[in-house]
Amino acid sequence: MNLSGDPHLVSITRRHFFSRCSLGLGSIALASLLDPQRLRAATSSGAHPLAPKTGHLTGRARNVIYLFMAGGPSQLELFDYKPRLAALNGQIIPDSYLEGKRFAFMDSSFKNKSTLLGSKRQFRAYGQSGMYVSELFPHTARIVDDVTFIRTCATDVFNHAPAKLFMNTGSSQFGRPSMGAWITYGIGSEADNLPGFVVLQSGPRGPRGGAVNWGSGFLPTSFQGVPLRAQGEPILNLTTPEGLNAERQRRAISAINDLNLQRLIATGDPEIATRIAAYEMAYRMQTSAPEAMDLKGESDATLKLYGADRDKPSFARNCLLARRLVERGVRFVQLYHTNWDSHGGPGENLEDDFEKVCHDVDEGQAALVTDLKARGLLDETLVVWGGEFGRTPMGESREKTGRNHHIEAFTMWLAGGGVKAGFVHGETDELGFGPVNDRVHVHDLHATVLHLLGVDHERLTFRFQGRDFRLTDVAGNVVHRILA
Amino acid sequence: MSAWKWSIALMGFGAAAAGATADYLNEVKPLLTQHCVGCHGADQQKGGLRLDTAGAARTGGDSGPALIPGNPGDSLLLQLIEGTHAVLPQMPYRRVPLPKVHVEALRRWIAQGAEAPADEPSGRWVHWAFVPPRRPAIPPMEETGGRHPNPIDAFIAARLREEALPLSLEADRSTLLRRLHLDLTGLPPSPEQLDAFLRDPRPEAYECRVDELLHSPHYGERWGRWWLDVARYADSNGYSIDAPRSMWLWRDWVIQAFNDNKPFDEFVIEQIAGDLLPDATLAQRIATGFHRNTQINEEGGIDPEQFRVESIIDRVNTTGTAFLGITLGCAQCHDHKFDPISQKEYFQLFAFFNDQEEPTLSVPTPEEKARLENHQAAVRNLEQQLAELESAADEDAEKARGKLREQLEKLKRRKPSVTTTLVLAERSEPRESYVFIKGDFTRRGPDVSPGTPAVLHPLAAALHAGDRGTGDELQSTRRPNRLDLARWLVDPCNPLTARVLINRVWQQYFGRGLVETENDFGTQGSLPSHPELLDWLATEWLARDWNLRAMHRLIVTSRTYRQTSRARRELEEKDPLNRLLARQNRLRLDAEVIRDVALVASGKLNPEIGGPGVFPPQPDGVMNLGQVRRPWKTSEEGDRYRRGLYTFYWRATPYPALAVFDAPDAFSTCTRRARSNTPLQALTLLNDSAFVEVAVALAERVRKACDDAGERLDLAFRLCLAREPSAAERGRLESLLEEENRDHGEAAAWQTVARVLLNLDETITRE
Repeated sequence: MNLSGDPHLVSITRRHFFSRCSLGLGSIALASLLDPQRLRAATSSGAHPLAPKTGHLTGRARNVIYLFMAGGPSQLELFDYKPRLAALNGQIIPDSYLEGKRFAFMDSSFKNKSTLLGSKRQFRAYGQSGMYVSELFPHTARIVDDVTFIRTCATDVFNHAPAKLFMNTGSSQFGRPSMGAWITYGIGSEADNLPGFVVLQSGPRGPRGGAVNWGSGFLPTSFQGVPLRAQGEPILNLTTPEGLNAERQRRAISAINDLNLQRLIATGDPEIATRIAAYEMAYRMQTSAPEAMDLKGESDATLKLYGADRDKPSFARNCLLARRLVERGVRFVQLYHTNWDSHGGPGENLEDDFEKVCHDVDEGQAALVTDLKARGLLDETLVVWGGEFGRTPMGESREKTGRNHHIEAFTMWLAGGGVKAGFVHGETDELGFGPVNDRVHVHDLHATVLHLLGVDHERLTFRFQGRDFRLTDVAGNVVHRILA
Repeated sequence: MSAWKWSIALMGFGAAAAGATADYLNEVKPLLTQHCVGCHGADQQKGGLRLDTAGAARTGGDSGPALIPGNPGDSLLLQLIEGTHAVLPQMPYRRVPLPKVHVEALRRWIAQGAEAPADEPSGRWVHWAFVPPRRPAIPPMEETGGRHPNPIDAFIAARLREEALPLSLEADRSTLLRRLHLDLTGLPPSPEQLDAFLRDPRPEAYECRVDELLHSPHYGERWGRWWLDVARYADSNGYSIDAPRSMWLWRDWVIQAFNDNKPFDEFVIEQIAGDLLPDATLAQRIATGFHRNTQINEEGGIDPEQFRVESIIDRVNTTGTAFLGITLGCAQCHDHKFDPISQKEYFQLFAFFNDQEEPTLSVPTPEEKARLENHQAAVRNLEQQLAELESAADEDAEKARGKLREQLEKLKRRKPSVTTTLVLAERSEPRESYVFIKGDFTRRGPDVSPGTPAVLHPLAAALHAGDRGTGDELQSTRRPNRLDLARWLVDPCNPLTARVLINRVWQQYFGRGLVETENDFGTQGSLPSHPELLDWLATEWLARDWNLRAMHRLIVTSRTYRQTSRARRELEEKDPLNRLLARQNRLRLDAEVIRDVALVASGKLNPEIGGPGVFPPQPDGVMNLGQVRRPWKTSEEGDRYRRGLYTFYWRATPYPALAVFDAPDAFSTCTRRARSNTPLQALTLLNDSAFVEVAVALAERVRKACDDAGERLDLAFRLCLAREPSAAERGRLESLLEEENRDHGEAAAWQTVARVLLNLDETITRE
């Protein structure tokens, strides 16, 4: 915790210390040698940066599970059904669509940018709500009645790393806090033995930009996302060093905390109380993180629902882990899955490669919504699904068929946490190029997610380099129409 | 009383009492000055109205009082600014309406009674930081212990007297020595150094240590790292691809500059424009790497011009933050909302940095040079052989020539690689620069040429300095270049640079600057806690020809610096954040120094200075987190135990033990590190194999050094904390040792003790 940055906290902690002092902190110290519980009680108040806090408003959602489809999935192959585009396949897109627009790879592979490409995928309306989903997402098609589709998402930047940053931090510049960091900064976390913001990854490679996507930027590092790894140690340095057992670790931590407590008494510095609390939390995490990651206790039926294996890393397994993490109070869980970058090159075509990545995620993501609902957790858990941008209605020919990056309109979906069930927001033009109404910019999406958590995006600020920064920069409107 | 002093004088210490007036001075007055006073001030009084003082606003003009205290709704000023008046047009007349934040600040101020200081002078008002510092008189101070009073203490004590607070006592000598070593070199004192100091009876023993440490080569490492933060130094290109880069020559140049005590104005000039100095040396060209520490985007499909522009924007913003302490970046998309910096002026600064090439400079080491020369000789040899065969026309000669040509090609391809570093170089033809509308590089506005903000000192003096002796003194109409900008930055008339930099030096010693917003000296920044001291330090530094070592000496020999950091009950009520410095502050060590302290304690440290980045052990799987998996071949032998600042820094996948302790991310300039305190830090110190390895070494070291358990404990304690344990501390460690010894044997028991000591809050704190 950055106490020096929070005068209020400093004064509370100091007051606390001095009131303790007058009661005789020395006796507490002695008692704590025998009773770690009392030590914790004596040092924890005001010392947890991640202690749960109330937002500005009454929130509908408590936790968020964000399924980040890294690379930018093609909305035209999955959700945005465009028969007219298929009819115009191979024709030239009217200039009026392209005027003033910029695209990636303008100088090289995106030369025949003006040729329209119809989707070869079959679409059907599903559920009571009759929402269109393509054949590539048979499982997802079954949960449409619990989901809001936003077909008119828009972003500002068309290259992967900056666009991922933009989707996560509201800025394409490095060094800004990510949404999970803002949220845990704003309302803390209810998990007292796990990090408040956890990241899980699957797919052939890490997301572009790496750790900055879940970084805390200029916020204290307490708020940055902690990657839990699918295999081996779930958290860096979580395992007690070789040759030491839990008992010896406990013994060492007790000695560290007792000596730190003596120093706290000698110096009166509340930062030492925070450090004692941090060591206790670290110790608890050593047990609780592996426990959270261990699927031994999950029934075969549950594993089957997700299509997950107890030990083999996969997106589906991460979905199940995400449920376990929010059950344990983790505020923000973000899953990354690669690779959705369907340009048409090797490993990236809209044919078999695309089918594979769809298959990777379909069953797990549908199961997550189904499972959360069955356990009564969907109301308080907001599930967000989407990439950093979408794909162009125009085709791109590399080795096979593909589409280029597209920022004008793409589909994301949300479920639970106070959003409407079985609802479609926004409509794109007949080619799926741009929105004809209800455009939802990244800043609007951020404002809405914060709103659902009970946080006013204009009031969640942090002063840095002379300016009050927000997740939503100077923009963002809550999309009230999708709220249940 | 000058205007700025007057504004400081009004800054009450209790924030609540000064709340209303502080609003006027910090929020209302700057915006009235910026938007209104041009037409309604000392020079012009359109509509008979003046708004340069709150009194004049209350009196009003031809249309009556401009404001009614406590009643914003009926106040003419607010109606006109919001454009709700039935007859009169919206103000500012025919210009962009005021932003909502400004309107709200005005409304709040009027609603609260429109309070303002009674003795507010009329006329042009300038924010304090834009007025050059004037040498203040040193407050009177009693001599203590026959020592000449340090002016720093005079200023600090004078302010404390107003609150009836005395300075704290001096810290005990062991604490003091550890503090001094860590602050000046980033390394803790050895037990021998501690003993020597504790036994040194001379009254000037402390000052002698100060001088020795300021001349230690490790001083350059410690303070060099301070500058690397500002420069956003890293060993990779950043963005998503994050390829490695060779930049350590520049890093070593910085370390050397501190160790040479290069006057700070030269230090700045060489980094901004060393290449443009007459007869620039190799070192001066290397110095321009400062602004090559920007990221490079190598992602496929990007528009290269976009990222060239991004890097220039970063250079402008970094220059603003690093030297001027102003938030220039706010004027990239629109005129600055709070400070008098227009968007046009932003792009005039941009123009200085738009005229460069970004070459890679080859700087071969002596060995590389020899290898290169051998290679060149071999090439020449083959070429000569070829030439000799040139005239012969028979088939054999043709065959031989073919063979030779092939060899030559092969040889040329095997040219030995040499060390390189990134530098700036001026283009022969300047680029055209424009205002970018809303900061968007695809939307060109009016042309701009290089220039500096009008609110600051003129560029002319720097231009003349550049032309001195060239016979062109009178032609100051030439296009200014980066060298002129560099000279302008350190021009003695610059009201900001010396204040901003010395404030950040101060921040290193006390955890907080005299101006708390160390990167914002503008109207939105905080006011100095000790304005006279700040100005005295700034002017003193200039008077000492920008001698930084002298300023360090001045600060660390002050009583203020030497106080104990222990909490004091009466301070908790009067000054809970310790702004007035009636005691020192405990500061958690920087990420690199946490590593260094552990290395020194264990005896493992390799104190070698400079050279390419190294790869100490890190947990498995760290490099998987980047988009491109980068190598991490763990260094063996000596390089495994180098100081933290030499750890190879990948921007996308930074060394976890550094990142977890708030090492800057190197994406943009960092002028103040966060000091977080998290469970992940605990896991790092407890379990990271690099720290475990050091703990094992520390245990071995103390076991080898003595046989007696008590002596061993004392030694281990002194190696980590540079002091004796208290009886209670010793008792706790003894019981730990006993338990561990009983269950796991002696060697293991000492390893546990070593781990515990290396994990203590005090070990990673400067007290």
